[in-house]
Amino acid sequence: MSKPRITIAVDIGGTFTDLEFRDTDTGAAHSLKSPTTPDNPARGLTDAIALAGERFGFTTADIALILHGTTIATNAVLTRDLPAGALITTEGFEDVLEIGRHARSDIYALRGPDRSILVPRRHRFGAPGRIGASGEVVREIDVSALDAMIERVVASGAKATAICLLNAYANPTQEIAIRDRLLARCPEMAVSCSHEVSPEIREFERTATTVLNALLVPVIARYVSALRTRLMDAQITAPVYLIQSNGGAISLDAAVQAPVKLLLSGPSGGVLAAQKLANALDTLDVVGVDMGGTSYDVAVVAGGERTVVTQGEIDGLPVRVPMVEMNTIGAGGGSIAFVDPSGRLQVGPRSAGAVPGPVCYNRGGTEPTVTDVNLILGRLDPATFLGGRFALDLDGARAALRDRIEEPLSLTPDHAASGILAVVNAKLAASIKFSLFAKGLDPRDFALMSFGGAGGLHAIEVAEELGMTQVIFPRDPSTFSAHGILFSDIQHDLSRTEILPLAAESLPALNAMADDLRTRGSALLDQDKMPEDKRILTLTADLRYRGQAFELMTAVPDGALTAETLAVLRTRFEEQHRQRFSFDDPKEAVELVTLRLTAIGVLGEADLPPVPYVPSESASVTHRPVHVDGAWFDTPVHRQLSLAAGSIVTGPAIIEQEYTTLLIPGRWLLTMTATGDMTARKQP
Amino acid sequence: MMRPDPVLLEIVSAALVSVAEEMSVTVWRTSRSTTVRELLDYSTAVFDAKGRNVAQAARMPVHLNSMELCLHHIAAHHIPLDEWRDGEVIVTNDPYCGGQHLPDFIAFKPVFKDGQRIAITCVLIHHVDVGGGAAGGYNAKAVEVFQEGLRLPPVRIVRDGKMQEDLFATILQNVREPETFRGDFLSQIAALDVGARAMLRLADRYGVDALDEIGAALLDHAEHEMRNALEALPDGTYIAEDFVDGDGIEEGAKRISVALTIKGSDIALDFTGTAAQAKGPINATMATTTSAVYYAVIAACGVTATVNAGCYRPITVTAPEGSLVNANFPAPVSMRMLPGHKIATAVLRAFAQVLPDRIPASYYGTTFNHAVNIRRADGRRQVYFDSELGGWGAHPERDGPNGLAAGFHNGQNTPIEMIEALFPLRFTSYGLVPGSGGAGRMRGGLGIVREWEFLAESGLLNSAFDAFDSLPYGLDGGQPGRGGTLSVVRDGVTTALAAKTIGHALRPGDIVRMETPGGGGHGDPGLRDAAAVAEDKADGYV
Repeated sequence: MSKPRITIAVDIGGTFTDLEFRDTDTGAAHSLKSPTTPDNPARGLTDAIALAGERFGFTTADIALILHGTTIATNAVLTRDLPAGALITTEGFEDVLEIGRHARSDIYALRGPDRSILVPRRHRFGAPGRIGASGEVVREIDVSALDAMIERVVASGAKATAICLLNAYANPTQEIAIRDRLLARCPEMAVSCSHEVSPEIREFERTATTVLNALLVPVIARYVSALRTRLMDAQITAPVYLIQSNGGAISLDAAVQAPVKLLLSGPSGGVLAAQKLANALDTLDVVGVDMGGTSYDVAVVAGGERTVVTQGEIDGLPVRVPMVEMNTIGAGGGSIAFVDPSGRLQVGPRSAGAVPGPVCYNRGGTEPTVTDVNLILGRLDPATFLGGRFALDLDGARAALRDRIEEPLSLTPDHAASGILAVVNAKLAASIKFSLFAKGLDPRDFALMSFGGAGGLHAIEVAEELGMTQVIFPRDPSTFSAHGILFSDIQHDLSRTEILPLAAESLPALNAMADDLRTRGSALLDQDKMPEDKRILTLTADLRYRGQAFELMTAVPDGALTAETLAVLRTRFEEQHRQRFSFDDPKEAVELVTLRLTAIGVLGEADLPPVPYVPSESASVTHRPVHVDGAWFDTPVHRQLSLAAGSIVTGPAIIEQEYTTLLIPGRWLLTMTATGDMTARKQP
Repeated sequence: MMRPDPVLLEIVSAALVSVAEEMSVTVWRTSRSTTVRELLDYSTAVFDAKGRNVAQAARMPVHLNSMELCLHHIAAHHIPLDEWRDGEVIVTNDPYCGGQHLPDFIAFKPVFKDGQRIAITCVLIHHVDVGGGAAGGYNAKAVEVFQEGLRLPPVRIVRDGKMQEDLFATILQNVREPETFRGDFLSQIAALDVGARAMLRLADRYGVDALDEIGAALLDHAEHEMRNALEALPDGTYIAEDFVDGDGIEEGAKRISVALTIKGSDIALDFTGTAAQAKGPINATMATTTSAVYYAVIAACGVTATVNAGCYRPITVTAPEGSLVNANFPAPVSMRMLPGHKIATAVLRAFAQVLPDRIPASYYGTTFNHAVNIRRADGRRQVYFDSELGGWGAHPERDGPNGLAAGFHNGQNTPIEMIEALFPLRFTSYGLVPGSGGAGRMRGGLGIVREWEFLAESGLLNSAFDAFDSLPYGLDGGQPGRGGTLSVVRDGVTTALAAKTIGHALRPGDIVRMETPGGGGHGDPGLRDAAAVAEDKADGYV
């Protein structure tokens, strides 16, 4: 029997399960889409694998590795389909989860905002004990009081319990003691401790993250168990890893303990793919944008690396684990255009969603959307939209635009329609600018990479708005996430918080922290059975000027920390500070807040040769009237799969892909590359 | 109304707001003090060339709606606008030059293109200390503004792009935490620069004339929306009042009276009948009063367009000179938030008579500012400044949220772990106060308890609290929220302290406890849904 040679990436979305695989012997790669099976998504996964094996000639014994992006955790949070939970805190701090950080976003609202508090007050319990700010035990745990509290936890009916004690990031012993006692009494309970989930300072963010983790444990445990059963039935024995929010892979066992790390599993595949393609095209600074029906996700690849943040948010809930940096705004094909009470034209964030959808879907929508406007302006073709399966109501869209926008604002139809696109494109551009601005980066140094169903019609105009001169369209945007997942490596992120001056006196403590992190990181890679030559351990330090609230992640030079290392760190920190905030302060002391270790176990074989692209359709160009660059043109329409490598399309033009449409305005040239990806450049 | 292209209007409007947001992010991420970086006690805004506020970042209503008055005051009485030069930053903290109280430094930077002023950027920061009789700037015993700290008239702190180091050194010499002050101030200047550069990019892109025209149209649109909302209300005069507690020097609550008159699309607020100005520092200057009125009227009108100075046009404010809401120089004003909140709640209470379905009962209606002047055993000194808030008033349609920023201000709390890592305090409790929300068909939100043990060699506790006796009102038969408290436990003996406490000596082991007010209830408590009553009981909210 030959050595297993097939690496499979699977991305399970709401409608389709996307699969891409590579044969590491031949370098051949293929992708396919098959329906998602919502009742048991694992079935859709094994079905897709069986289908790929049949179609492309491999057996389950040939499979070496399966990498799996999942939205199970995300969907459970969005629908609040979470088990009953309890929270154990230090006595006197049971309400930290509810109090949060106070600030509100709508400052003129008189009606209280909707707040989502995942564990009600009656299920939050105070534990007798106290850790001080430097990790000292201020008060020992009173065991009889603890036992009484545990009885109340059990009586609450909780299936999952989060433990988050004050200052536990500095000393976890009391959290461990409580967990052990709770598990002894109640072995079935899913228990998460804050010192494991998010061992960093700031109690509310740590509590909220630990609660979310605890509530997701039963959800992911159930899924992993179903997945294992399904794989066994299908006789698939290859190791399976899930994709985390940081873009790295994690074993199933580890994922069950840390499900909060899976919340951006889906989108992080797209970011990995953007990173991969940026490197393949040797365009190292790229903004990846994913535009769908209701939202627009922006991620940044700078210097060939995806940017990562240490804290994010899902559906208004803070999540403090490392994740790919993704800014989302509510703008997409379904965004509604309307005239507000002050007489101003607005587009979104209200969306028509899938139901009723845009007016042109003829499912009851009455307000014009971005998709309607694209149809009115000829940018979408009713004949080929979604493969022509779906008749679009152009007259209905026109009437809605007339009644709701043209007449109230006294605009011509063309002005109203192109104005709505200009407003939405300005919003998309602003969200990109804001993503880059926060890092002190200039859009003009970046290329835009567009994927997602609705992005192709907007990408170049958004790039123009930002002064960007290059736009990249991946060969197959519809399975882009799965493609990215194929290149994921195992990644464990570990951290330790201790506020220390960045000075020689801190070196012993810093080295002790670094050694501890390396030991723990190595142990995790041991569990993954990673060979030594496939391991990469890197340290970063979260640094700030003394007293600042925010830290900058600064790469730490390899090896033991010395006075020279500290000098390098200070220089790097100050460069970053200057870049982001336009000033530095050499007189001020720098302090470390958190030391981080990223432990990577290399899974994939990144240096496989690129898959050559061959057009699969014969050349054919049609024409249709399209409103572009402010006027109507009889515009050439190309089929993507008919363009040979090296061919050049001059704008204005339309390129139709299987699931999307690209708009190339005048003064832009689109080139089909040897890999089937397309790059558009602005002519000087 | 001028009518520039509606598409360009939207694009530029969004761009202007994002300039203010970029400035806000710059302050947030670079400032030093916990006041700014955790409490978020700052605001940023953009003005057009004529000094009209065209865009705000969503931060503190109290700041945002006072900036334009301050700018006008400076231009009218100190430095005329046509004497503002490229490369300058003009700053003041003087309540009698258009400011509110001394810790708030308001800095303006004119933006020039080809020798022409095209915009002004503004950053207001609450600085951690300004010298004076009490750490943190809240000298409860002050009877003159001179005792409240350093007073800076409008001056050019930056000329030709260079910090005026001698002036800056003079300021730093007069504050208790010069390093922190310096860091926050540099962050303030950096944000002004970020905003100025962004405005220049907009001017390059759209042209100076177009920016000017669009700025004017944005103001017109905001005014139009306000007038539409006011027009829909029945004409008439609606009278309401609210109270602040005594000033800590003289006993007795002080009345704030307002007569709200709607006539067509105009609205007038007359504070005749309000108490005379106080001896102690609970006075407001017109900047505070107007700003509180603007906040309340904009909120009550439910404005959805971008808030800007156009919203102010239908509003007239009349306040008797020498009263609590229009104090004469040199009355002390450090606790101006206390009347400020109650001006807002009084105006909202008047609105409740015409908008009974929209106006909630009173929120906590105060700011629980407190500071400790700490001396450690090694002689090191530190100032711990913090702030707390309470529960929302119940809305006709829902309970008030517990412990959440409301009304006239907005801010974050400081993580307890961050406080303990930096200051010699150990918290014993941070939580909600059961029973503090006013009963009603809809319940008021709960107030907050903070309790900590003092660990250092010695310390002096200062507080600038209110609403101990003057409770957040209920509406339509709802009960008021419970008032605030402050106490110290020493050797097992609890001593209640005054809302305005100055220099209370702390020893190691002393436990300081403060409870903030809950919000008022709405509607008859007897009509509360039985399931909601049971939930409240199960959660220990009552």
